[in-house]
Amino acid sequence: MGELGRIHQLLVPVGGLRLAINLEVVVMTWIVILLLILFGLATSRRRSLVPRPIQVVGEILLAQFYGLTEDALGEDLAKKYAPMITALFIFLLFSNWLGIIPHLEEPTKDLNTTLSLGLMGFAVAHYVGIRSKGFKAYISEYFQPIFFMLPLNLIGEVSKIVSISFRLFGNIMGGSIIIMVVSYLCWNLLLPPFLNAFFGIFVGTVQAFVFTMLTVVYIAVQVK
Amino acid sequence: MDMSPETIVAMAAYSGAGICIGFGAIGAAVGEGYTAAEANVAVSRNTEISGDIFKNMLVGQAVAESASIFALVVAILLLFMDFHGAPLIKAAALTGSGLCMGLGALGSGIGSGIPGGQACFGIARQPAAMNRLTTNMLIGSAVCQTPAIFSMVVALLLLFLDFSAMPFQPGWAALIGAGLSTGLASIGSGYGGGTVAGASCEGVARQPLSVGPVTTTMLVGQAVAQTPAIFGLLISFILIFRTVPATESLAPAMALFSAGLCTGLGGIGPGVGNGEAGGGAVRWVARNSAMAADLMRVMLVGQAVSQSTAIYAMVISLVLIFVM
Repeated sequence: MGELGRIHQLLVPVGGLRLAINLEVVVMTWIVILLLILFGLATSRRRSLVPRPIQVVGEILLAQFYGLTEDALGEDLAKKYAPMITALFIFLLFSNWLGIIPHLEEPTKDLNTTLSLGLMGFAVAHYVGIRSKGFKAYISEYFQPIFFMLPLNLIGEVSKIVSISFRLFGNIMGGSIIIMVVSYLCWNLLLPPFLNAFFGIFVGTVQAFVFTMLTVVYIAVQVK
Repeated sequence: MDMSPETIVAMAAYSGAGICIGFGAIGAAVGEGYTAAEANVAVSRNTEISGDIFKNMLVGQAVAESASIFALVVAILLLFMDFHGAPLIKAAALTGSGLCMGLGALGSGIGSGIPGGQACFGIARQPAAMNRLTTNMLIGSAVCQTPAIFSMVVALLLLFLDFSAMPFQPGWAALIGAGLSTGLASIGSGYGGGTVAGASCEGVARQPLSVGPVTTTMLVGQAVAQTPAIFGLLISFILIFRTVPATESLAPAMALFSAGLCTGLGGIGPGVGNGEAGGGAVRWVARNSAMAADLMRVMLVGQAVSQSTAIYAMVISLVLIFVM
């Protein structure tokens, strides 16, 4: 149980600063990227009008997320941003599922991963907002409904990043801590597969979807 | 009896863990029970799609569970982390951490069950809108967990920060106050956010085509309902990061403690009230989406007025921190 709350870090001195690199997370993220490339190749190689099962999986996934993005953003923006949204979902899904394989860990268990994805969504949302409304209308949003609401609106925007990234981080880390503690308490007998099925597959899928949909909704709020 | 700092820190960690998961288990259980109750009604109304309603109920409950999972995480960290050689003030930080996460999970747990229940009921009424309802439920109940996430942030800060530079005398009160401030203020905001999300699921079921304006109004309403929790978070941060001079007397310590208690308790009512206002607006945006802009304006003004009491509490807290 001693490994709880301990992280393997590589400290690189750069100038006067020390860069801390979480080695496990980097390796696990590369594994996820590799799996994503394999998945992409498997779904798109040898396409045909009568699809093979794996092609159907890819098509359903894309069609679903294209539909969801179109519902929220409208047709024009959906064409542009649906690929990003789908990629975000698959990345999160594979990341959350990675923990069910022994000796591998979810990259989303680390706050750095979720926080950077949250920041990415935030940046995209505000970029789309400025592009679609113009800079003046975008700035005046912060003074709604009255001008002195500015600090609260700013805090509200920052709290979006905090909440979206800590939600994913808390759920995934929580799941993995629960699996670890319960497995330890029952000597790894009987229970771990069910816990992995619930926290790894079920909660992992739901939280990946929640993160993706919230990113879409944050973009949609900026556009309107 | 051995009363070295190490023993007291360990005692604080254990009692903090108990408080944390004890309070944290209340909310999610009530919320999930509500989801299941509505799912029962829904199944008996529309028996043909009982399988879909059941699936939706399970997904809704899994999301509502997050609040108590956060509490469990903090409790387990309190139990198993290594606090050897920690100064006495860490005991206060650990108690504050447990209080913060336990109380903070209460409101969000109850609140995030409401959209789940309303979505089950809505599917029975309007099976064609099932996908939209499930998506709306997930967004709503995830956003109403934001106050619990704020509490988790404060709890983790209290757990992992090093407080050895802080003097013990007013410091202990500041740290427990920091925990109480965000924890208590999250109760109202979490429940209020749930009311808004529940109303939006009801609205989408009534008029599936209005899903766009309904979702926007819901998000704005929830964001405003979360403001009391943000006030609590602000006071917590001030209490944690402000350097206080060491003192012998108890009065400054009690001022800091009451500052946390004040914003915390003061945020409960406005959170619930803002939720009611948002819920009303969302429900009627669904029925009459041509009036969405007017309804949102009335909602925002109403919420601002109902929030004034939280602002009074925060002003008193700031006076207690900076003047007393």
